[in-house]
Amino acid sequence: MKFDAAAFKLTDLNSVQVRSLGIGVLGLLLTVVGYFTKTEQFFFSYLTAYLFWVSIALGALFLVLLFHLTGTVWGVTLRRILETLMKVLPYMAIFFIPVLLGAHHLYEWSHVDVVAADPILSKKTSYLNITFFAIRTAFYFTVWYLIAAKLYKTSLAMDGGAKPEHIKTLKKVSAPGMIIFALTTTFASFDWIMSLYPHWYSTIFGLYFFSGGLVGTLTLVIVIGLYMNKRGAMDSVITVEHYHDLAKFTFGFIIFWGYMGFSQYLLIWYANIPEETIFYLDRWRGTWPIITMTVVLGHFLIPFVGLLSRNSKRNYTYLKYMSIFILIMHWVDIFWLVIPVLHTSGVRFCIFDFTAMAGIGGIFMWLFWKQLGKHAAVPMGDPKFEESLKHHNP
Amino acid sequence: MSVSVQETAATTVFEEPPLIGGKPTFSSITEKISGIVEGKTKKAWFVLFGLASSLALILFGSIGFLFYEGIGIWGINNPVGWGWAIVNFVFWVGIGHAGTLISAVLFIFRQKWRTSINRFAEAMTLFAVICALVFPGIHVGRVWMAYFMFPIPNQMQMWPNFRSPLLWDVFAVGTYFTVSLMFWYTGLIPDLATLRDRAKARFRKIMFGIFSLGWRGGNKQWKNYELAYLLLAGLSTPLVLSVHSVVSTDFATSVIPGWHSTIFPPYFVAGAIFSGFAMVLTLAIIARKIYGLEHILTIRHFEKMNMVIMVTGMMVGYAYSMEFFIAWYSGNEYETFTFLNRAFGQYAWAYWIMISCNVLIPQLFWFKKIRTNIPAMFIISIFVNIGMWFERFVITVTSLANDFLPSSWDYFSPTIFDISMLVGSFGLFFSLFLLFIRFLPMVSMAEIKGVLPQADPHYYKKHE
Amino acid sequence: MKSGKIEGVIAEFENPAALIDAAEKMRDSEYTRFDCHSPFPIHGMDKAMGEKRSVLGWIVAPVAFLMVLVGFLFEGWTSTIAYPLVISGKPLFSYQAYGAVAFALMVLTSAGTALFGMLALNKLPRFHHPVFYSDRFAKVTDDAFFVSIEAKDAKFDEKETVEFLKSIGGREIELLIADD
Repeated sequence: MKFDAAAFKLTDLNSVQVRSLGIGVLGLLLTVVGYFTKTEQFFFSYLTAYLFWVSIALGALFLVLLFHLTGTVWGVTLRRILETLMKVLPYMAIFFIPVLLGAHHLYEWSHVDVVAADPILSKKTSYLNITFFAIRTAFYFTVWYLIAAKLYKTSLAMDGGAKPEHIKTLKKVSAPGMIIFALTTTFASFDWIMSLYPHWYSTIFGLYFFSGGLVGTLTLVIVIGLYMNKRGAMDSVITVEHYHDLAKFTFGFIIFWGYMGFSQYLLIWYANIPEETIFYLDRWRGTWPIITMTVVLGHFLIPFVGLLSRNSKRNYTYLKYMSIFILIMHWVDIFWLVIPVLHTSGVRFCIFDFTAMAGIGGIFMWLFWKQLGKHAAVPMGDPKFEESLKHHNP
Repeated sequence: MSVSVQETAATTVFEEPPLIGGKPTFSSITEKISGIVEGKTKKAWFVLFGLASSLALILFGSIGFLFYEGIGIWGINNPVGWGWAIVNFVFWVGIGHAGTLISAVLFIFRQKWRTSINRFAEAMTLFAVICALVFPGIHVGRVWMAYFMFPIPNQMQMWPNFRSPLLWDVFAVGTYFTVSLMFWYTGLIPDLATLRDRAKARFRKIMFGIFSLGWRGGNKQWKNYELAYLLLAGLSTPLVLSVHSVVSTDFATSVIPGWHSTIFPPYFVAGAIFSGFAMVLTLAIIARKIYGLEHILTIRHFEKMNMVIMVTGMMVGYAYSMEFFIAWYSGNEYETFTFLNRAFGQYAWAYWIMISCNVLIPQLFWFKKIRTNIPAMFIISIFVNIGMWFERFVITVTSLANDFLPSSWDYFSPTIFDISMLVGSFGLFFSLFLLFIRFLPMVSMAEIKGVLPQADPHYYKKHE
Repeated sequence: MKSGKIEGVIAEFENPAALIDAAEKMRDSEYTRFDCHSPFPIHGMDKAMGEKRSVLGWIVAPVAFLMVLVGFLFEGWTSTIAYPLVISGKPLFSYQAYGAVAFALMVLTSAGTALFGMLALNKLPRFHHPVFYSDRFAKVTDDAFFVSIEAKDAKFDEKETVEFLKSIGGREIELLIADD
């Protein structure tokens, strides 16, 4: 990996691309074995991995929208990385096909006989049916694609010199884009995760899924940045000040996530309505408490304490391990959401959980590196770019 | 600054206009803000204060009668046991949130525009929370038992029930008031020193002298001061989120359809910020007009506030739609009924006032013309205040009036005392606020000076 | 000139940039008991003066951690040992419900520590200080920038210090003499 500091372009990305692609293809091939040996497990493992990577791409889309709307200065230099992650999102539509094909294994509401025998589920058939499910997902990806493509294109156009129209376009797309993002992400989380328990419902669920994904995005950006810095690339444009701010955001959204998770839990625990408590009861059965507590500790308490001090946000080695840890915890969080539906009696990890992660992740990162190498790795034409480089934390 | 590859014509196009209008100097800021406190009292002030304090007297009178007669003087009835008192409580606590948001959250996000509005937004917080605390205080019926709410060792060996959301409220709102007061006072110290140093009369000098604690403005003091301010901001940020979340649990921990919804905590917080900003806007527009603060409270500040109102309004709209969707999606007939009943039942009028004021009307802020038009935003801010009061009314009353048992359904009508207390609480709020703008600097002078371009040491090198 | 003990000296500087430059020179000199006064905190002044970061954070953090724990334990003690009472079928030790109050206690005490800790570190309230002998100094809360050196400084010398302040660009140098 090399970095042309004058043109802000990354070159020699071959090795990292080949490695990502290799891991991806190998992972997917191994996962396919699961389809033939343990079909149910295969689909659940796949869905977990899929949601992990989609949530990260969605978080990137959110941050790009947020930066444009608020006119954030410090983050401008990181925006191309985020934009590239966001650009991978539409490709994830292709990876949804297995989920759709496996809907029968994943979603109880897809069984017509079960639904017919259940008075509550039969009320929901107009929403929870395979056709509408597929149409909705197609719709989500279409609008995400449209928003992401427009933002990406305009941002690229600024590389050659920013014009006021560019800024205007970005704001004009971002404002309604944010509203569409909020609604589509919410309904996507309802469709893909919440409906795994067709009886269960929680109005906060969309926010919970979104905030977890955002934490994933922020930590992934830290990891990618440090990975490039270590190889001598981009260290002139991503400085300790930017990591400090990324870590602050991570810290903030760890709290935000904890707040959402706790709100949901506290209210369901307190009201004690059977339709709702089922969700937590399933996660407190057999050996599941171990994972539940891991989520509480690892996704909230440890990062909260671990990122509290100023030094912890500015020490590269520490930050790297903390970010990797949080990323793993984000996966555990998704695992905790999805897998108890399959393994009701206790935790069971399966090799396919990991191969699916590597498979989708490898392809995801391959697409990312390929895209990042195509253009300048920072939005160098952005009028706030210079200021962003000089940004200092008091 | 001489750097840059890209400092082309484009850069200047995107440069934002300065925050403070006119050609301000450090001393012109001091003169302007201190002048308000030191000058003669305006006639308009006397008129407004007379009006506000008379309304406050109505509140005190009503409270006196309530203590004598009991809470039966309100319109509460059998299914609707929580009437306007709780509505007003939630409304006022919500108003308070904008102050802390502006002073703490925007501080952490380095939003410099907050400096023009943070002082009086914080003051507004304090007074709104005072108004809020009145209502649960009198709602307990037997006020002389109010000490039961605090963990005081007593001869009965009783302790409060820490599992009750109502008790969480006592702690959350009490803490909120105290911490807001400390935050506000910390911000005031340098400005009190300014007033001390300018005071001519001996009494003023002594009073401001005492309260400014001998502030000398040395950097060895600023260093600790700035960190203390940052820490207070850091503590207030989760606090402000927790307070309205706790208030929301008063409803959401129950099993009442329309109250029990997991989105309640963030939804209430968004609503609180929404209503609070509307109130800040209302007050700021009036104060700016009366005291000629056009240079300090510029249209840019208002535009930013309007955007916050629009965004939080949409968050509230998001919560409304989530509740509505899930009410249907749950397949629970009580949930479904409650929401249909809100929209089309006996309280439909209130529901649609809420929707129009909170979701529809703020959408006008999409237009820059309206966002920067003072009369338009003033009217919209009033609508938002009305809408947010109705939101709490809809939540509280509709869910109770038509509960699980149709035979006990009833309709809530307010009595004259419900109305007098609501109106009176506005009187109390405005009385306190008017006293504040008369006697204390309503804009933070030290902070405004800190964001002027000439406060930056680099400014002088650039202009040499 | 007034008679009396000299307790220090102040010099005025024109603007924040001049004050920063002066602060850097003060830092590099041998004076230790000096301070730079301004109407608002100046960005970069800590570095210019060679000041360390404030220790306030290290005072507040332990209080915060301690009070969360105290809050939880106190709530647990009252509802399980001191006054056990089953309410709405909830377990006596309902830690889920204790968060709100423990958090409020934590914020309350830490905010108090932040405010009073700041005052203690700044040795405030202090109503009597040599700099207040100067009438000009009143402008520090308006638009003036000063450097002050206390007479207690080991290097303080009536003549030399004044000369030094002059050499670093100070104007209107004034000796602080008790006038009452």
